Amino acid sequence: MSSDQSSAQASRSVGSVLGGIWRAVSVPLGAVLLAALIGAFILWIYGANPLEAYGALLKGAFGSPAAIMRTLEKATPLVFSGLAVAFAFKAGLFNIGAQGQLLLGALTAAVVGFSISGLPPLLHASLALLAGGLAGALYGAIPGALKVYTGAHEVITTIMLNYVAINITDYFADGPLKDPSPGNIVARTPLIFDSARIPVVGGIPIGFVIAVLSAAIVWWLLFRTTIGFEIRTVGLNPSAARYAGMKVALTVIMTMVISGFLAGLGGSIETLGVVGRYQPGFNVGLGFDGITVALLGKTNPFGVIPAAILIGAMKAGSSQMQFSAGVAKEITDIIQALILFFVAADMIVRKIFHIRAAADAEPKLSTGWSKQ
Amino acid sequence: MSKKIFTILSFLVVTAMLLAACAQPTEAPPAEEPAAEEPAAEEPAAEGDCASPDVFCVGLVTDVGEVDDKSFNQSANDGVLQAEKELGAQVKYIETKDAKDYQSNIELFADQGYDVIVTVGFALGEATGQEAAIYPDIKFIGVDQFQAETVDNVAGLIFAEDKSGFLAGALAGMMSESGMIAAVLGTDLVPPVVAFKEGYEAGAKYVNPDINVISTYHPGGLDVAFTDPEWGATTSKQAMDQGADVVFGAGGKTGNGAIIEVAGNPGLYCIGVDTDQWLTVPEAHQCLISSAMKLITPGVFGLIKSAQEGSFPAGNFVGPVGLAPFHDFEDKVPQEVKDKLEEIDQGLKDGTIETGYNPGG
Repeated sequence: MSSDQSSAQASRSVGSVLGGIWRAVSVPLGAVLLAALIGAFILWIYGANPLEAYGALLKGAFGSPAAIMRTLEKATPLVFSGLAVAFAFKAGLFNIGAQGQLLLGALTAAVVGFSISGLPPLLHASLALLAGGLAGALYGAIPGALKVYTGAHEVITTIMLNYVAINITDYFADGPLKDPSPGNIVARTPLIFDSARIPVVGGIPIGFVIAVLSAAIVWWLLFRTTIGFEIRTVGLNPSAARYAGMKVALTVIMTMVISGFLAGLGGSIETLGVVGRYQPGFNVGLGFDGITVALLGKTNPFGVIPAAILIGAMKAGSSQMQFSAGVAKEITDIIQALILFFVAADMIVRKIFHIRAAADAEPKLSTGWSKQ
Repeated sequence: MSKKIFTILSFLVVTAMLLAACAQPTEAPPAEEPAAEEPAAEEPAAEGDCASPDVFCVGLVTDVGEVDDKSFNQSANDGVLQAEKELGAQVKYIETKDAKDYQSNIELFADQGYDVIVTVGFALGEATGQEAAIYPDIKFIGVDQFQAETVDNVAGLIFAEDKSGFLAGALAGMMSESGMIAAVLGTDLVPPVVAFKEGYEAGAKYVNPDINVISTYHPGGLDVAFTDPEWGATTSKQAMDQGADVVFGAGGKTGNGAIIEVAGNPGLYCIGVDTDQWLTVPEAHQCLISSAMKLITPGVFGLIKSAQEGSFPAGNFVGPVGLAPFHDFEDKVPQEVKDKLEEIDQGLKDGTIETGYNPGG
């Protein structure tokens, strides 16, 4: 009897979990499908065979162990920037500054990677990784503090701080930190020591493993801790949070610090695991793509992972698509933009696929101008 | 506890679903593809031949830019297209989207057994060197890639941009009436752009020591510096508002934006870059007196040809530079200016005139 009851309960909860999953993924799935369809139409107008083009895209992204590794490598920084944006969303903050935080993380990790020698590999890599994260965290704290103490909206301040970060990193890469090896005229830092490198083991970039673990930690932090509860409460209703005795100002700053930390980690891993140094122009758009990834992942830390893999796969496969199908490289940008469009304008997707609106609260994309 | 397991399970399912979703459209094609469309079936067959010694294949990888940029990448690709026409080469290009992909893009050609791979742009130098070491049988032509050490299968096609810029600066300095000229440039992260600028300023000062030169680099990174005609136009306009009456635009589409902006102002002149932009940017005909050329197209073609003939020169190959014809401005450029330019060109060639540009120094 009691076992019957528990099994019935289990099956009910399996049903509700599956239903929950379906509710969560139906809109992103529909958005991806619609974007792929419109993309196919554009390819057809362009004079290419859409099936052949998508086939080449897939081959370039998943067709061989090397291709899969490249896809995961491309997805890794997107998981982090996606987590950074998603995390801030939970507190009702729109962090468009992931790009800038990521750049400073990438540069700082490079500095620790090439300027300290003689450390054991694990320690050196961890130190560099952490330093990059901290740089991002500090840079993220600025818009948080500006919002709390002056009421400056984080959308404006983070956008502007991106430009500041680009120019700071360009200055250092072409100035004090420029690779001094003879004959070098390129703006870039020296190579990091091997001990600071994050390796690829068995075709899987360790950076990606760290990304997945980070997603799990972010989920735990958001949904299983008091801090996470406060962050989500502030996101849903700052006034209620204040009335309940929560320190809203502190929460806002802390959210931006953690968000910046995540973006900084993404930049670190890109330096330590892929590029091996900091070079201007090598981290373009990684932070901005985080916005697409976060929205496509419905701002869920675990949803961010498949979303990042999808965008990463398009990045990894686009050259193969150009090569085999003769399609302009911009087509993947178009598809990516369409996905973002349909995720944001989810009413269209719901209408077409007859999906009912989710009962749970949608992420709030922005808040007003008032001080918190 | 069970909730946690469900969450993990749900995550796995979501991953699987999303992967399946993006796999779906392509699961079907391999089966129907050969029958579906004829060109699709034809092309792979033709491509496979690149590995055979009978088929001469030339691939081109651009920097983060486009082959129709009407200057740098385009003139390199024109050299490849000329090889297609005159040497019967099978050609293809890839436009690089992400600077981290230089190497994997080159590899797409190398894997298919291409005979010659042209990599366009100084930024691809390192990736080119690495790939050249992996594929010793493939000849690599690196446009704007200075070779510090000679590698048997790599030819760096380089140019003295400072000399080209020097001539442009001298022309601008002599044609200016206001005593104020301008240069709108791609990023200083790319040494050839710096060379153009330094040469331009030195050339202008050479003919007129009192001249004012407003030089502006694009503030963005490599990703946007050469593809931002709006910024080029705005910067060009600002320079004209400050009294500049000759504008030199050097930096892909960014520079094109700068010179096109000048065209709407009668009496003002503009100077193009890399190719004879009279032919590629007709919008600028009203102001374009000349272009500071790097003769990339014949340089690339010549190297491809020597690769086919088996006389590929390794190391650095210095391509010719010079000013483009004046075209419609032939009558407006005074004879003494032409004579002076001739004299300067001679001086630059025999070394009696130095531009003062010293890279890496």
